[in-house]
Amino acid sequence: MESIVFGIGITALTGALATVAGAAEDTESNIGSQGDPNSQVQLAPQMGFLHRIFNKAVAGEPPAYGLWCALGAGLAWAFMAMQINAVLAIVLGCILAVFVQGVYATTAYLGRTASLKKFGQPVYVDILKSMTTVTMAHAFVAIFCTVTLCYLMNAALGHPFPLPLLGLLWGIALGAAGSAVGNPYYGKERQYQNQKFGAGVPISASGNIVRYAEAGERNSLDNGFFTAKLGGPASGVCFGLIVFLELWRTILFEKIGAGWGAIIVGVLMILVFTIIDRYIEVWARKTYGPYAEPVKEASS
Amino acid sequence: MSAVAAKPAAGGAMNPTAMAVGVVLLLVILGICWRVSPGLGLMALIGMVVGGVLIGFGVHFVPVGGAPAAMGQAPGIATGVAMLAAGAGLAGLFGGAWAADQGLVVAVLTGAVGGGLMMAITCMMVNFIYVFGMGIPAASGKVLNDPITGDSQKEFKSQGTEGHGLPFVSFVGGVIGGILAGGGGTLIYLMILDVYKATLPTMMKATEAQIMPIAISAAGIFAIGIFLVNAVLTAYNITGTIEGPHDPKFKRWPRAIVASAVASALCGLAAILIVVM
Amino acid sequence: MTVKIEVIAGGIPHTKIMVAGIIASLVCLYLSYLNVVTNTEMFSFFGGLAVIVALIWGSNTIKVLCSYGIGTGVPSAGMIAFGSGVIAMLLATKFGVAAPIVALVLAAVVGLILGYLSNEVLNMKIPTMVQSLTELAVVGAFTLMGFAVLMTGGFTFAALTTGSVTILGLSLPSFQSTFIGGSLIAAAFMLGALAVQHPFNACLGPGWTQDRMLMLAAECGFLSMIVAAIMSFALVTAGSALISLVIALVGWAYTYMQYIEFSKRDAASWLDAKPIPDVEGQ
Repeated sequence: MESIVFGIGITALTGALATVAGAAEDTESNIGSQGDPNSQVQLAPQMGFLHRIFNKAVAGEPPAYGLWCALGAGLAWAFMAMQINAVLAIVLGCILAVFVQGVYATTAYLGRTASLKKFGQPVYVDILKSMTTVTMAHAFVAIFCTVTLCYLMNAALGHPFPLPLLGLLWGIALGAAGSAVGNPYYGKERQYQNQKFGAGVPISASGNIVRYAEAGERNSLDNGFFTAKLGGPASGVCFGLIVFLELWRTILFEKIGAGWGAIIVGVLMILVFTIIDRYIEVWARKTYGPYAEPVKEASS
Repeated sequence: MSAVAAKPAAGGAMNPTAMAVGVVLLLVILGICWRVSPGLGLMALIGMVVGGVLIGFGVHFVPVGGAPAAMGQAPGIATGVAMLAAGAGLAGLFGGAWAADQGLVVAVLTGAVGGGLMMAITCMMVNFIYVFGMGIPAASGKVLNDPITGDSQKEFKSQGTEGHGLPFVSFVGGVIGGILAGGGGTLIYLMILDVYKATLPTMMKATEAQIMPIAISAAGIFAIGIFLVNAVLTAYNITGTIEGPHDPKFKRWPRAIVASAVASALCGLAAILIVVM
Repeated sequence: MTVKIEVIAGGIPHTKIMVAGIIASLVCLYLSYLNVVTNTEMFSFFGGLAVIVALIWGSNTIKVLCSYGIGTGVPSAGMIAFGSGVIAMLLATKFGVAAPIVALVLAAVVGLILGYLSNEVLNMKIPTMVQSLTELAVVGAFTLMGFAVLMTGGFTFAALTTGSVTILGLSLPSFQSTFIGGSLIAAAFMLGALAVQHPFNACLGPGWTQDRMLMLAAECGFLSMIVAAIMSFALVTAGSALISLVIALVGWAYTYMQYIEFSKRDAASWLDAKPIPDVEGQ
C-alpha cells in the first residue's frame, strides 16, 4: 500500500513537471520560431516581406528536444557517476545542454538569414542578442523539468531504462506533443493575425506574415506573451496528461490481472478521449456553422 | 527556382521488380539468420520483422499536415511524420519496457496502448486548439463525407485552403497509428532483449543481473534506431504529408510493407550477429 | 509552400570531400588506437576529430541529397543516417582492431540496401539517393564510433561495455558505468543526428555557400565534442578528458568566430537595432 501511495505521489509530481515542461517548450519554440511555422518566416522575405523575426531553423521540435533532453540527461548521468549530488548534477547538465541549444539557435539564425541575401533580408544583430538569451531561459525550464521527471522515473519508480535513454525518449515525446498542439496556434493565429479570424490562411496569402504589430515592428519576443495565453498552457496540459496518465495507469493497475488491468484502463482512457474529441468536433460544427451552404447534390 | 531534377509523376506507382527483389532480400537475410542461429535468433528476427512492418504500416495512419497545417491550410498535425510517429512509438516503448517482466503479449499490448493513448491525447488537444483557440472547425480536403461519421466536409472548409484540423477519421487514424507503432516498437525491443538476456551472460562471463544494464540499453538504442529507419522510410513513401487512412496516398502501403520488412530484417540481423558470432 | 532549393555549382566537388572524409576519419580512429599501444587514454581526443571530419563530409552529402527535393525535411536524412549507422557501428565493435574498417563496410551495405529500397521499392527515383544513403550510413557509423572513442578510449565491444565504479576508494567492475550500459550512446546518437543535418538545414536558401556550410559543420562538431568531453570525465581519466575538452573549446571558438565572419560576408546587410528596410514594389 505504501509503495502505491509513494508511486502516486511521484506520479503527481512528474505530471506537474511535465505540464510546466510542455508550456515552456512551446513558448521557447514560438519565441525562436522553430518547426513548421518557421517555413513562413523563411518564405516571407522571398515574397518581398522583410521582417525582424528570429529564424531558428534547428530541425523540428521533436529531434531538437530529443537532443537537449538526452544531452541534459547524459551530462547529469555523467556527473552522478562522478559522485556529484543528484540535484546539482541535473542542474549542471541542463545548463550545459542549454548552452548547446543557444549556440545552435544563433548559428541557425545567421545561416538562414545570410542565405537570403538575394532578397535583401538583413541580419539584425540586436535580434540575435536579445532573443537568444530568452529562448535559452525557456529552454532551460523545459529541459530541466523533463530531465528531472526522467530521473524520478528511473530512480524513484524503478523504470529499467537508464537516464540518457529516458531523456531521449521523453524529449522526443515532449517535442512531438508541444509541436502538434502549439504550432497551429503560432502559425495561424499569431503569424497571420491580420487574416480573418475563424478560418484557415488562404494559399494566396502565404508569406504575408505580420511584421508591424502592437508597438512598432514585431519581433519574436512579442510572440512569447501571446503563446503564454493559450498555446503554451495547452501544450503543457497535453504533455502533462500524457505523462501523468501513462504513469498513473501503470502504478495503480499493473498488479491487477497480471498486467491486463493497466491495458484495460488504457483502452478505456483512449475511448474517453475519443468521446471528448467527438464532442469538440460536433460542438464546433453546430456552434460555428458552415462557411458556405452545404453541397446540395447527393454525395458519394 | 525549382528542384534540380523533376521527379517522375508516377509517385504512387508500384514497382513489381523491385518488390520481388525486396522479398528475395528478405528471404536471404532470414536464411543467413537460420544458418547462424536457428532457434532463438530466427524467432527473434521474425519478431523484429513483424514489429518493423507494424511500424511501417501504422505510420501511414497518422495524419500529418506539415507546414501548411501550421497555417490552417491543410488537415493533420503540424509536425514531421517521422518524429511524430517516433514520439508516439517511444511513449509506447516506455510503457512496454516497464511491463517486460509480465510476458510478451502483455508487454506488447501495454506498449500499443501507451502509443495509442499519447496519440489520442495529442489529437484531442490539436482539435481543442483549432476549435477553441482559433475558431476553426475540422474539415477534410480529400473526401466529401467523413467515412466514419458521415459528416459533410466541403462546407466547413474555409476558402483557399485544403481543409484544417483533425476530422474524426483522422483522429481515429492517429490513434490506430499510435497503437501499431507503439506495439511494433515494443515488440522489436523485447525480441532483442530476449536474445541478449540469453547470450550476453556467457559472452561476457557475468550473471544475468549484472549484464542487464547492457542488454536493456543496447536493446533500447537498437529499437530506437530501427524505429527511426522505418519511420523515415514511411515518410519517404507518403512524401511527407498524409491526411489519414482516407487519403488516396494511403493506398501506397504495400510498398512500405516490403521496404520496412527488408530494412528491419537487415538491422535485426546485425543486432543478433553481435551476440551469436 | 516550402522553401525551394537550388543546386549551386562550384565549391569543392563532393567526391573529393567524400574521399577525404573516409580517409581522415579512418586515420583519426586508428590514431586513437595509440591508447592501447601506450596503455593510457590520452589519445581519446582523436575520436572527437574523427567525429568532426565525418560531420563535415556528412553535411555535404545531405546537401547533395536534399537538393533534389525529397519531399520530407532535411532532419529525417540525419535520422536515417544515424538509425542505420548505430546498428552497423555496434556490430563492427566486435571485430577488435579492424572495427573502423568493418564499420565502413557494414554501414555501406546497410546504406546501399536502404537506398535501393527508397529509390526502387518506394519509387523515389532520385539520382543520388542510393549513393547518398550509403554515405550517410557510413557517416553515422563513424560519428558514433568517434564519440565512443572520445568517451571511453577505445572502439572495441569490451571498451564500450566494461567499466568500473569507485565506492569509498575501492574500484569495482561495473557494467552500468559504461558507454552502452549507461546509455551515453543515446546522447551521442542525438548529438550526431542533429549535428549532421544542421549545417545544411541552417544554411539553406538561395544564398547558400559551401565554405560557410562546411565551417558550420566543423563548429557543430567541436560543440558536440565539448559536451562529449565533459561526459567522458565519468569514464576516462581526468587528464585525458581535460585534453579533449581543451582541444574542443579552442576548436569551437575558432570555427564559431570564422562562421560569424562568413555570415557577415554573405549577408545582405548586418544591422544593429535598425528598422525594417523599405523594399521597392512593396
